[in-house]
Amino acid sequence: MRLTDYIKNRAACYAIWAFALALALLFLYVFNVSWHAMAIASALLVVGSVVSELVEYIRRKAFYDGLYEAIDGLQVHSQAYLASEMVEPPDFLEGQVLCDVMRMASSSMNARVARHRRESQDFREFIELWVHEVKLPLASLQLMSHNDGNARYAQQLARIDDMVQNVLYYARSESAEKDYVIRETSLARAFSNVALKNRDELLERGVQLRTEGLDATVMTDGKWLEYMLGQLVAYSLKYAAPDRPPQIRVAAEEQDDRTVLRFWDNGIGIPVSDLPHVFEKSFTGENGRIGKNSTGMGLYLIRKLCRRLGHEVVAASVQGEWTEVIISFGKNALLDLV
Amino acid sequence: MKRILVIEDEQVLREELVLLLQNAGYETLSITRFEDVCAQMIAAHANLVLLDINLPGTNGQLILRDFREVSETPVIMLTSRTSEMDEVLSMSFGADDYVQKPYNPTILLLRISAVLKRSSGSGSNLMQYRGVSFSPVKGSLVRAGQEQILSKNEAIIFQLLLDRQGEIVTRDDLMTALWDNQEFVNDSTLSVNVSRLRTKLKALGLADAIETRKKQGYVLR
Repeated sequence: MRLTDYIKNRAACYAIWAFALALALLFLYVFNVSWHAMAIASALLVVGSVVSELVEYIRRKAFYDGLYEAIDGLQVHSQAYLASEMVEPPDFLEGQVLCDVMRMASSSMNARVARHRRESQDFREFIELWVHEVKLPLASLQLMSHNDGNARYAQQLARIDDMVQNVLYYARSESAEKDYVIRETSLARAFSNVALKNRDELLERGVQLRTEGLDATVMTDGKWLEYMLGQLVAYSLKYAAPDRPPQIRVAAEEQDDRTVLRFWDNGIGIPVSDLPHVFEKSFTGENGRIGKNSTGMGLYLIRKLCRRLGHEVVAASVQGEWTEVIISFGKNALLDLV
Repeated sequence: MKRILVIEDEQVLREELVLLLQNAGYETLSITRFEDVCAQMIAAHANLVLLDINLPGTNGQLILRDFREVSETPVIMLTSRTSEMDEVLSMSFGADDYVQKPYNPTILLLRISAVLKRSSGSGSNLMQYRGVSFSPVKGSLVRAGQEQILSKNEAIIFQLLLDRQGEIVTRDDLMTALWDNQEFVNDSTLSVNVSRLRTKLKALGLADAIETRKKQGYVLR
């Protein structure tokens, strides 16, 4: 709060005081009071007003500056709404009113936020439950198709399962709750589960699959990792180049403080201009626009899940030639003991 | 004949599971009353138990924990939940394997036979086939001092054929077993592997060991 701002704010008041003083002087003049007395009276009034205004200014400045400082500090953590908890109510009225109002507003906001959190938690639990329930008929159908010796349905069932899985992981990625378990996980196991799940399509499309160094283990949640790898396989299949046999190469490499998993394919690649945005929510880019019904959620979810697990993920590509998604697993990630 | 106990509350799924297992040559039992599950498990004297995690009014993991106090019978947990925590808990309560719904039926059967083999301790032993001894660990076939070394793929194929000797093993089953062992082969590689395996068997005097059934698969005679 600057002094000039304060003075500007009080300008109307000062004008009224000046006008009142001028009127008073006029009266005193009419009543023939000596100019000495008039000068002393004016000086006393002016000095008194200036001093009282300075005192008022200093009190307000201390309070408002403190408030701004508190908010700036909280803004760093995007928690400016906590400011009302941080400031002491001042000893002047407007400040007390402000504090009161802030407190009332924030407590009503807290109640609302809590309600929404409860609602979204309920919704998430419902989705989880629903996913588990829908898997029962899916599992039954899969067995029926096998028992009847009719494998034709299996691939479509696998697609449904994939889509159901997407819903589950979207709900999980948005949740504030910790519902993963980080433990030593075999990359080979995780990837072969994913490959097996997609086997029919991989074979049908004649994909050449190569793995390297997957005997490494990483600290992660196995189920989440399988979901992410499944997404990457689906991407490679979706964006395979039409003019050459598709290849997928999955390689792990141990470095000093981390294990790096490279998922490479020789698909159509990503344009340079799109590359920085591929992990953004709902970003479909040029490849999405060429009619591949892309939702722009796959890579977004991968990055989100990676962040929650404490992994890093980046993408590299040369358009028309290859795409590579690289996930780095920290080696001394916090161990969750069960 | 190995006897498998199925504990699954969803009726359709249970019936299909039973059918799958019977088609694969197992004797099956199932539970339809979900009270005192543990006692029923003990009474069943099965060689292996398939146990669902979500059961009405109870929880497969707790049942498993009670069961483990009295029995070493292998248990494979079935679940529709895809949470690592469930797996960690199940394994820590003594499950032998953990399979998620919806399961690939071939994989489920592979896991079952792997667990059964492990529990009967025959996994690493020599297996006999018409005068040939097969060592799954070394991947070798020996007959009268003559030895043929099998590649990893050939050993996986021979093992599966031998496990189901006399039955038709589909190419799909073979492929699943190979992929389950991180050998991501395609159709033509599988054919090459089978024909190489045939050549090696022939060298041991078993030219007719693997019979091709058109559009069905292979049978080890």
